[in-house]
Amino acid sequence: MGILDKKLSLRDRNKMLIGVWEDEDQLMAGASEIAHAGVHIHDVYTPYPVHGLDRIIGARRSKLARIAFFCAVTGLTLMTTMIWYMYVHDWPMNIGNKPVRFTPSWAPVMFEGTVLCTAFGMSFFFFWRNRLVHGIKNELLDIRQTDDRMVMVIETTDGMDEKAVFNMMKNHGAVELREFHNGVQTVL
Amino acid sequence: MGHGHHIEVKQEQFVFSPKAKRFSMILMVLGLIFAGLGIANLGGHEESHSAKTEVAAHEGAHHGEGHAAAAAHEEHGNVPNEAFGPRMEFHPLDKPVNTRIWANLMIVGYFFLMISLVALMWYAIQYIANAGWSVGIKRIPEAIMTFIPVPFVVLLIALFMGKNDIYHWAHYEHLGLKPSDAGYDPILVGKSGFLNSTMLFVFPSVLVVIWYVLMRKLRSLSAAEDNATKGDVTFFRKSVRFSAAFAVIFGFTISVIAWLLIMSVDAHWYSTIFGFYNFVTHWVTMITIMAFFVAYIKKEGYLGFVTNEHMHDLGKFMFAFTVFWAYLWLSQYLLIWYAQIPEEMAYYQIRFENYKFNFLLNFAMCFCIPFLGLLMRSAKRNRYVLAIIGSIMILGHYHDVWLMVFPGVFGSGMQFGFMELGFFLLFAGIFTYWVFTALTKRGLVAVNHPYLEESAHHDVGV
Repeated sequence: MGILDKKLSLRDRNKMLIGVWEDEDQLMAGASEIAHAGVHIHDVYTPYPVHGLDRIIGARRSKLARIAFFCAVTGLTLMTTMIWYMYVHDWPMNIGNKPVRFTPSWAPVMFEGTVLCTAFGMSFFFFWRNRLVHGIKNELLDIRQTDDRMVMVIETTDGMDEKAVFNMMKNHGAVELREFHNGVQTVL
Repeated sequence: MGHGHHIEVKQEQFVFSPKAKRFSMILMVLGLIFAGLGIANLGGHEESHSAKTEVAAHEGAHHGEGHAAAAAHEEHGNVPNEAFGPRMEFHPLDKPVNTRIWANLMIVGYFFLMISLVALMWYAIQYIANAGWSVGIKRIPEAIMTFIPVPFVVLLIALFMGKNDIYHWAHYEHLGLKPSDAGYDPILVGKSGFLNSTMLFVFPSVLVVIWYVLMRKLRSLSAAEDNATKGDVTFFRKSVRFSAAFAVIFGFTISVIAWLLIMSVDAHWYSTIFGFYNFVTHWVTMITIMAFFVAYIKKEGYLGFVTNEHMHDLGKFMFAFTVFWAYLWLSQYLLIWYAQIPEEMAYYQIRFENYKFNFLLNFAMCFCIPFLGLLMRSAKRNRYVLAIIGSIMILGHYHDVWLMVFPGVFGSGMQFGFMELGFFLLFAGIFTYWVFTALTKRGLVAVNHPYLEESAHHDVGV
């Protein structure tokens, strides 16, 4: 799966520090303190959206909207070209004595083509970006992160005080602390 | 921006600042000046025609033709048009001069009546949908909807004074023709059960009374909630029930009002999507107006917990319903264009042939500019962009209503001129003044609304 985005994978990285939470308010408070301490939070996996968390961990804006725009432009061009080729260039037809070039009847085709390309394009890019392509093995750090637990992941850097980070997690109600390195998880 | 922590929301009292007062006064005075200019320009019948030809030289040719056609029509009956088969009769060119004033009052009354009604509908939908994000700004539609009686009275006056000249079916009603007479119109006779003078006054009046009563009820529930204890949801539940009742009534009746008041200007013509199209035109305008009020109130330092997130959602509403407006606009046009049935085409024929500039301008102002202008997220979150695009949208949709009425009433050769702009500005001023006054009547925050906290924490994400 070489085409998949490596950035989201947790393999081939430094040691990861992991905290597991049960309560999102405590998680938010913890994330806030850790982020304010200057530690970069790699990601937080939650079973449902936690509002405000994206800003705390400094998540970048999704590029899905831009992809949607380019898909829309592609779809519009594709459909305009298609209908021009079929209906004007290759085989003009007389339907109700209407003109063939750029009439209102083109609009539904252009519109539907734009919507179709945008919808499919966004779905594909979304699944691809999130490593949800068929056949790929999931990389859940905790099986309960899709159910009732929230998992915060921090990648260690050279000068990082790991103990301090774990302490901050624990002080803010993390129920489990772990380390993850080279595909092996250690519960602390 | 919601950080998951508690946000203190306190009651605030809006004060109608002298600056805002001055602004609405300026709007009113400008409107009066423009309307006065327009009315002074009307003059006599002949003068007005020659003045118009001077102003719009390119329209002059059309106008002459129209006159000739009307004259021919009087002599020979229907004038056949070679390209399109029998042309619908666009009679009226020989209307009394002041018809334009009544028609202007009618569209301005209709426009603002719909704006206030749609505000009520918006308010009701927030309750029915259990919407939380909008609680912080719910006082604005609550103030807008109190405007219902004012434009309705204006509308009634306009209809009373000008109905025979605005609606050719009302004129026809007076002729009292028998089937054997020349000019007998079976279509108008067939519709006379719905399109008659009694219906024109009684039906909207009854509905406005019903809407008004429901509006007062919802407002009193909201006021009672403010005085109740925190956590008491009985008023909220009652509001949901009354909102649902209103939504059902409104959903069925608003189309009929649009048919009766606006579509019947071209009484031979009909379009089943027309009522809905009218609704959306005013819906998107109302949301824009609401965004303006929210932005202004925030700028004055009120509603600190209403953030850019709320403005972003209003921007999204503006954008989404712009697209929806275009969808309905095209749907109505496309089927008629494709079927090419003469009586259906009459509506678009005059608008596309004699009002081509207005027709295309309408589409540009209501769709192209807002669509491209509001497409980006950063545009929806920028209040200067919202202000510019929003102003274009409001004017564009007013012009849309104008385009629905004026070609049908006057035939060719009309302009969106000083008078139209003047009446619009005048009523925009009155509307602004009224809404600001209504906002001062109660606290700016619905402090006991169960979803207030949710609204304060509203966040659409990065």
